[in-house]
Amino acid sequence: MSTDALPSRSAGNAALAFLKKPLVVALILIVLLLAVGEWLSPGFASPGQILRLLIVAALLGIVAAGQNLVILGGREGIDLSVGGIVSLAAILAGNVMNGADGGILPAILVCVIVGALFGLINGVGVTLLRIPPLVMTLGMLGVLQGLLVVIRNGIPSGRAAPGLSDFVVQPFLLGLPGIIWLWLLIGLAMAFLLRRTVFGYRVYAIGSNEQAAFMAGMPVKTTRVALFMLSGVFAAIAGMCLLGYSGSSFANVGEQYMLPSIIAVVLGGTPLSGGKGGYTGTMAGAVLLVLLQSILTTVHIDEAGRQMVFGATLVALMLFYGRAKAMRG
Amino acid sequence: MSELIVRGARKAYGATVALSRGDLHLKPGEVHVLIGSNGSGKSTLCKIVAGSVKPDAGEVLLDGKPVTIDGPRAARALGIGIFYQELSLAARRTVAENILLPAMPVKGGIFVDRTELEERTARIIAEFQDVAGEGFAADVTVDRLRADQRQLVEIMKALASEAPILIFDEPTSALDRAQVDRFFEILRRLKQEGRAMVFISHRMDEIFSIGDRVTVIRDGATVASSAIAETNADEVIRQMVGEREALSAESKPPVPAAAGEPMLSVANLSGVGFRDVSFTVGKGEILGFGGLHGQGQSSVLRAIFGASAHHTGAIEVGGKACAARTPAEAIRNGIAYVSGDRGRDGTLTGRPILENVTPIHFLRNRLHLARPSVLTALVEGPLKALKTKFQDIGQPVNSLSGGNQQKVVIARWLIDRPSVLLLDDPTKGIDLAAKSDLFQLIRSLAAEGMGIVLYSSEDAELLANADRILVFNSGVVTRELQGEERTRYNLYHAAYEAA
Repeated sequence: MSTDALPSRSAGNAALAFLKKPLVVALILIVLLLAVGEWLSPGFASPGQILRLLIVAALLGIVAAGQNLVILGGREGIDLSVGGIVSLAAILAGNVMNGADGGILPAILVCVIVGALFGLINGVGVTLLRIPPLVMTLGMLGVLQGLLVVIRNGIPSGRAAPGLSDFVVQPFLLGLPGIIWLWLLIGLAMAFLLRRTVFGYRVYAIGSNEQAAFMAGMPVKTTRVALFMLSGVFAAIAGMCLLGYSGSSFANVGEQYMLPSIIAVVLGGTPLSGGKGGYTGTMAGAVLLVLLQSILTTVHIDEAGRQMVFGATLVALMLFYGRAKAMRG
Repeated sequence: MSELIVRGARKAYGATVALSRGDLHLKPGEVHVLIGSNGSGKSTLCKIVAGSVKPDAGEVLLDGKPVTIDGPRAARALGIGIFYQELSLAARRTVAENILLPAMPVKGGIFVDRTELEERTARIIAEFQDVAGEGFAADVTVDRLRADQRQLVEIMKALASEAPILIFDEPTSALDRAQVDRFFEILRRLKQEGRAMVFISHRMDEIFSIGDRVTVIRDGATVASSAIAETNADEVIRQMVGEREALSAESKPPVPAAAGEPMLSVANLSGVGFRDVSFTVGKGEILGFGGLHGQGQSSVLRAIFGASAHHTGAIEVGGKACAARTPAEAIRNGIAYVSGDRGRDGTLTGRPILENVTPIHFLRNRLHLARPSVLTALVEGPLKALKTKFQDIGQPVNSLSGGNQQKVVIARWLIDRPSVLLLDDPTKGIDLAAKSDLFQLIRSLAAEGMGIVLYSSEDAELLANADRILVFNSGVVTRELQGEERTRYNLYHAAYEAA
């Protein structure tokens, strides 16, 4: 969507506007980080290593797709429960398939239904009960975490089917594993949904001015519920893929996705206030974050340190975009 | 005792002159009525005196000495208290705290003196206790009060300031008879104490029962000031209308269109802010809604459009019953609605022009896919018909001027034509050129057979464009003006008489 930039009069302005596009910024940063990584630790930017990074980015990117939709819908839309849904889906899928390829299809079905169900509850809470999304989905995260302990009784269980693991890590087409193709497919589907369907137009409309959207006859509440449901489904799909990636599930595997999924969306040019932006930027944002994470690991910064860096990144982004918005206004 | 004189006060907001020459001579021991039509500048004059608006020119004399009132605090120090039309209460605080908010009794420099607070507020509340109604007490928070009770709190707040000069900007709009009577008793007592009071009201009966003097403001200038005993309601209305009445072209009624079959029929519509409203709009007719601001005109239009669900009565569009609970249903039944508050109800801020024009087309054709190239071709016609100025269909709607933004919002109704068009003060805050484009379009839409309802807060606009006018007063239609009756005088007369 090139709706952010006004037609500029001079070529210099046009170039500047181009450089200010979040997607362009993200791509430049990706190249820069790859170079830094290679400099810090030779081999960082090798094809095999980049492929591994892309798989990890795909997992994050799929979660961020749902997050992106919820944030685009505006009214402080945010889904903090994605991490819980990722974990739940990983456990459910592991137990349903339990190492057998025949269980993959039932597992997909179970995961999609469970993800949609939790999304539905989030959506209903936010629209009909008028609970702020932040509070609603944070509460849901708490419920999910409790549920995980109950289901598992503290003991890890369930194994990924070989087919699923192959899909995530083994080359499938043109040397790329299935998950990368899935991610690209999701990217295309998201672009189509947002730019070529009436539903997509509605998402932007309610995100930019909910009251005006209502007065133009749009089903504001149904649309918002659908966004939360989609977020649940995307998180569940990511949970399944994560199981394939790691082979078995462990405690709270999905926890690591809550903050990064939000950062990827904002990095990609969708402001937290919603109503503008798109998924292409978010995809770049996901790659960028995974790169950053990897570099931090390379220089021996542990999980706690990475969390701090991510938190600070989000706050810095808010400052950056908040200021840009104030200048436009 | 204070005597207040305002001379030649002027205030402009950009190109809009809110007050061009405001004069006021307020004497101790009088209730001085200020009257003028919508947007004539009364409130601006009051705000200048209260220090919340800084005048561009003019002088204010207090007891003969020129003073500068550069803020509400300065006004209070000079002994000026004000009742604001837009209620300025702290919703989560109690009645007592709100009453003494401007001058909290303090002990020891920082602590609120609770005993003093209770004693002083008890005295003030006692004066209204028997007319305040259920649930009114010193320790109740303001957000739990009814509209009339909140207005009483606002009055008490002004009274508690014990200022020698008190300004009441429409203090009685929500009050019932008994509450108004009690308020007037208190005003009479204050008058005897020698205090000076400015009183703004749109109810002629109130003005003549409490006022001592009346000053008329028209188009931002003070035009007359006379003792109440020496004037009457007719003369006051004539002064508000001005000399233009006789010669102005604007009030010359347009050729009445032959009203065709009914497009919209409303019977006994009642809801929040209006009751028992009935009317019919014929094919090709422009029906005007007139009267003062907020007398139920907007609420009726929004109810028909399904934007507010709680109402009773029957609505028919083209002979078929249409009880729309949401705008979507109303739109499917062929109703269109354009709000004057386009920032709230109209524009999808930050989105391209294209996306701002398409929603109604999607809805009425039950579309699921959006093809930008097809849509662009589709929206160009309506945008051109409205003479909308823009560079690119993809530019954000908020990069346009106010008038052009409103045109974009209106264009969304022109791809698939509705049978009924509801215009809720559609020209609010837009430039003259855009206004004239708009009314040209409205007239041609009527000629094509649409039934149109036009509410306008600008009387001139209404008189120039409506074939027939319903005058609203306190939520009911008090008069219907047809043909030669459509004059400014008749409009004001119906708007200002007691409902």
